[in-house]
This record gives sequence, structure tokens and C-alpha cells, in this order.
Amino acid sequence: MSGPSEAKPARRRRHRSGGATEEGVLYPRWFWPSFTLPASLWLAILFVLPLYTVISIAFGTVDQIFRNPLPVYEPWWWSGEQFGKVLDDSFGLYRHVYVHTFEYVVIASALCLALAYTVAYYVARFGGRRKTLLLALLIAPFFISYLMRMLAWINLLDTDGYVNKMLTFLHVVPQPIDWLSGRPSTVVMGLIYGYIPYMVLPLYAFLDRIDANLLEAGRDLGAGPARTFFRVTLPLSRPGILAALVIVSLPMFGDYYTNNLLSQSPRTTMLGNLIDEAYGSTGQGPRAAVFVIILMTLLLIPMFYYLRSTARSLETR
Amino acid sequence: MRHVRDLSRREFLVRAGGTAAAIPTMSAILDACSKPGASTSGSSAFEIATPDHPVTLPMNGEPIAADTPIEQGATLQILNWAVYMWKYVLNQFVQQYGDDGIKFSGVTTFNNMDEGVQKLASGKIKADVFFPTIDVLGKLVAADLLQPLNHDLIPALQQDNWAAFQSPYYDQGWRYSVPYTIYTTGIGYRRDQIPDDVIHGMDNPWSLLWDPTYKGKVGVYPSYRDVMAIALMKNGITDLNTGKDADLETVRTDLLAMIDAVDPRIAYDASYNKLQNDKFSVTTAWSGDVVAGWEYTSPATQAAYEGFGYWFPEDRKGPIDNDLIAIPKSAEHPRLAHEFINFWLSFRHAMDNFSWNGYQPPQTQANVDALTKTEGLYSKRSSSWAAPAMYVAPWMPDAAVREGDFAIGYREGPLPADVDDHWHQIWSEFTAGVGS
Repeated sequence: MSGPSEAKPARRRRHRSGGATEEGVLYPRWFWPSFTLPASLWLAILFVLPLYTVISIAFGTVDQIFRNPLPVYEPWWWSGEQFGKVLDDSFGLYRHVYVHTFEYVVIASALCLALAYTVAYYVARFGGRRKTLLLALLIAPFFISYLMRMLAWINLLDTDGYVNKMLTFLHVVPQPIDWLSGRPSTVVMGLIYGYIPYMVLPLYAFLDRIDANLLEAGRDLGAGPARTFFRVTLPLSRPGILAALVIVSLPMFGDYYTNNLLSQSPRTTMLGNLIDEAYGSTGQGPRAAVFVIILMTLLLIPMFYYLRSTARSLETR
Repeated sequence: MRHVRDLSRREFLVRAGGTAAAIPTMSAILDACSKPGASTSGSSAFEIATPDHPVTLPMNGEPIAADTPIEQGATLQILNWAVYMWKYVLNQFVQQYGDDGIKFSGVTTFNNMDEGVQKLASGKIKADVFFPTIDVLGKLVAADLLQPLNHDLIPALQQDNWAAFQSPYYDQGWRYSVPYTIYTTGIGYRRDQIPDDVIHGMDNPWSLLWDPTYKGKVGVYPSYRDVMAIALMKNGITDLNTGKDADLETVRTDLLAMIDAVDPRIAYDASYNKLQNDKFSVTTAWSGDVVAGWEYTSPATQAAYEGFGYWFPEDRKGPIDNDLIAIPKSAEHPRLAHEFINFWLSFRHAMDNFSWNGYQPPQTQANVDALTKTEGLYSKRSSSWAAPAMYVAPWMPDAAVREGDFAIGYREGPLPADVDDHWHQIWSEFTAGVGS
């Protein structure tokens, strides 16, 4: 009786003191933290350094002859001129681009969620023995590159493409619709199609982990299917919804080729297109870097919201 | 099976208009650590060449001697845009020099001019032949990245090519460069929607790109220099390198008006694919794109081919330009490089390549009459094309470039940094749909 009950606090104490033991084996203090080394190096080399380079380009200058970006790494040499100008333009000339981008991403993410949730819910709750097969089918689009999928849509949405053929055949529309004529709806559709697989998987992962006993308990207590869903399933899947929204909306904000391929109209330009255009233009490297920093800063808002929500959710458990 | 090319040629001209790989080179990074705003590659001054201000580039060393032997067993290294040269003609070169054991390594490619320059400057690629654009030529010489040419080893330039290129404004005395292809920038249009006599009868055909009749069916290249040049031409401004605020404000106003008037599409393949396939009615067009358009018609029939046309001012006063070939300073086989250039400038090989890529070489025998009546080699060898395709379609002689065009046409040259930034700002507003 006394043996096991005394052993647990003993292990905890040693763990806290940094002695690092497992099953009675002693490890040096650095042993467990060292496991984070590969990831830390990875982040330092492939995130922190590049990010600092981007910042150094944004506040830097350009090569005098070829006008390539010339990063300035010493902050005391930084020039804020380009940053100030782009910031001014962002609230002035290009404000509508930020608004477009926000609208497209919010609408696309919301529709993604509506579509993906139902699919993920079905697989998690009713997939049964076919879960693996259904999951494989859900992952299937990942095997085809985003670019290829968008190129396929160009043919499908063409005036003489299958979408229009079907719509006219079914008399849904009297004339073929010119989907590729710079329509915001087409860009949103492209975003939904391109990113929906990234939303289905995290949602499925969360929904699948919901204890079926909780749903049964809800029904036993008199709740109907709808009420059980809204009072039990939906709240329990909220972290999954937030994670999925973050996963799809962050890359959507920087997306540029969906618009490039499916619209090509200045009217539907997104923030990613501004970056792409500046990046590909002689002498405009610092400008592109400033846009990148602005975008990253804006993305911190939903990211912090997600982290805060996740932290709260953990606290309440 | 129908031959389909990728976009490289389009990207070439677009990016030649001005691009930058925003990833800094290691040398740039190291430079930046020492002193902001200065770099080893940017320390030399260079003159900006214009037709009114021709430039003689400084000699960085001497050309190789004329009696330098051809490097035996050499592997020719070409640094070039992807899909810019017909492999058939490249193989002809290797076969011609087979006795010297010449091999061909394949082409090392780049996606834009700055990437090409960086590959060259990094020294990782010891290219024997490089294909720069006019706007970077002076910069390359200032950075000591090119070697002077030995004219005795390139007799084809004088024998077969236009005299205008014996001493072009950007390289007086052709010290470092020879011409590769030439092209004009005009209007591509659907002949079934805009009959030839209608467009030729218009006072200002440039304005077709602003005509609301074609709303949603207007395409422009993602090339700031060319599209803005057309806006200048529409307004009768012929200085295509203008830095005047009033001129650029006119361009800005017009480009933003274009969005409201026709909701244009910005597309690489505007004039060699979408025009041919009736997606667009009117486009900005490089002559070479339209000339090569027969390869992209769907269906691949003569009727489809005859569906599109090309307009350029009748007085030939319009945007005109050319591309270059040069030999890098670091070339390991400079004599072979000279042989290659000479081969490429000779009439037969230049014309064979032209039949494939649609961009005309400045050959003296390539007059409008001959070009519109002679079938090109690529058409003869194309299994998917039954009808003969002339070098230039007979119904669009405007697409054939004449030697005289270079005397009266308007050139797009390099811009001073501040002017270039101004141009970019306007272009950025256009592509972002400001005010729409």
C-alpha cells in the first residue's frame, strides 16, 4: 500500500529538480531539453534567419547596378523610408486589396468549414469500417499539386467547359457563364477547392476523438440529435474548428496564384499578388519585403486568437 | 501529337522588362554586413544608353586571338532562357563540330534576367554563351562579367545581318554583343471581330485596348514596360523611356481607365494562346508571339490560323526591340563560343530557329516578301500541321520586322533608378486595380 503511493511524489520531485529520471533511470539535466535541439535549429535556420533577412531587406537598400535587394543587417543602418511609404499605400491606394483579401479569405474559410465539417463528421461518426478508405479518398487531392488542380479548373470553368455544359444541359442557366472573366466568386471557389483538404483532416482528427459515450449521455438525458450536436459535439470540436481555420486561412491570405490562374483581373488582386508583383520587379525587393512583414503582422492577430483560445481550453479541462 | 511549348519565351520578354529575384546573393549579404548601399557588384558606374545617346562600352581586356584553336572535346555550356532555342538547330551545331569532339551539355536555364545574371556572377556556372537583354548589357560590362568579341571570328554578323546591328546604340562597334531576335510591340486582334480594314482605317488603333466593345476580352502582358509603352503611344508620346511626371500621370490615368472600360486580363499567353483560341478579342502583342501563333490554334486548321491578326503602325513608328547574345568573361571555351555565335547568326540556322520560336533574326535576306511566301522548316517537320505555315502569315505582314524599323521605331531602354521606380509604382497601381 505504501510503496506505490510514495513512489509517485518521489518521481515528481526528481523530475522538477531537473534530475530527469524515467523508471528510476537517472538522466543528465540537459537530456530531455536536448530533444528540442533539431527543431530549434530548424526554426533558427529556416525561419528566424530568413525572417531577419526579410526584415533586413525591408529596411535595406538595393544594389546600385543590378538593383537586387541588398539586406542591411545592422539595425542602426536601417532606413524606414520604404516601410513608411508602403504602409501609407496600404492604408490608402491599396486598402481595397486588403479588404478584398480579407473578404475572400473569410468567405472561403467559412464555406470550407461548412463543407469540410459535414464530410469530417460523416467519416468520424458513420465511417465505420470504411473510415480508412474514406480518409484515403480525402487525402487523395494532396497527391496532385495545387497548381495542377487550379489548371484543371481553368478547363472545367471555361465557357465550353464541363461546368457550363452541365449547367446549360440541366437548364440551370440559359447561357454559359464566363466564370474566368475576373469574378470574385471564382477566386473564392478556387480557394475553397484548393484548401479544403487541409481543413477536413484536422476536423476529422478532433471529431473522431470525441467520446461516443458523451453523445450517448446527451441523448440519454433527453436531448435530440440536433441538440446533442449543438450542445455536445460542436463545443467539443471547437478547438478543431479553430485549428482548421488557422491552417487554411493563413496560407489563403498569402495566396496569389489562385487569382493569377482563375481571374487575371486587376479587380480581384489579393495581397499575395502585390507581394508577387513587387518580388518579380527590378529594384522592388524592399517593397515586397515590407508587404510580407505587413501580412505577417496581420496574420499574428488570428494566430494569437487561436493560441489564446487553445490555452483557455486547456485551462478549463 | 501537337507540339506544345511552355511559357518561357513569354516569361523572357516579360521579365526582360524588369525583374528581380528578391533572394539576395551571398555576396550581397556579405556586402551588406560591411556597408549599407554599397556592393562589390555595384561599385562601378555605367552609362545608360539611348538611341539619342549611343554608348561605347569600355574594353575589359582584349578579345581572344583570331588564331585561338577550337577547344577540342569541349562541352559547350549555354546559359539561356528555357525553350528559347530549337534543339534541332543546336544538334546541327554539335554535328557540324563533331570532328572536334564537341559535346553539348544542354542549356542551363533561368526564369528571369536577374536570376541569369546572378547565376553568371556567382561563378557556379561557367557559361560559354549567355543571352542578356539590352537593359542589363551595360551593367554586365560594368561588373566585368562579359568579354569583348573578336569580330574576325564572327563574320556572319557582317555577311548575313542588318547593318543596323554593326553598331547599335547600346553597344557601339558591337564590342560585347550580337543581336539574337528582333520584334515589334503592337496589337493582336481577332480578324472575325475586328476586320483588317477596320483596324487599319482607325485613327488610333492603340485605343482598341480601351474599347468597351471588347470588355472582358482584352488581354495585356504582365510587362510594365510594354503595356505602359502602349499607353504612351496611344497618347502620342513617343519617348518610351520618359521620366516626365506629366507623361507618367497620363499613363497612370489611362491604365486605370482601362480597368473601368474593359476589365483587362493580365496574361502571359495573351497573344499566342488566348487570342488564337478566341478567349481574347484584342491584346497587346509582340510580333514574335503572333507569328508563332499558328502552333497554338485549336483546332490546328488553316481557318483557325487565319482567325487572328497583328497591327503595327503603318509608318512603322512604334515600339521595337531586340535580344542579344554575349560571351561571359568566365567562359571556358571562348573560341567555341565564337563559333557558336557565328553559326547562330548564319542565315540558314537563324531562319530554322525562327521557324520554331517565331522571333525574327535580323537577316538581310529575310525581307517581308520572302518571309510571307516561304514555309519555315518547323512547319515542314510538324506532324500536326498539314497546311504550310509561312515564316510570317501572309495576311499580317505588319508582324515582319524591317531593317528600317530600327531607324524610326521607338526603343525601350534602361531607365534611371528613380524613373524606373515611378514606372513600377504606376504599374503596381494598375495591377492592383486602384480606383476600380
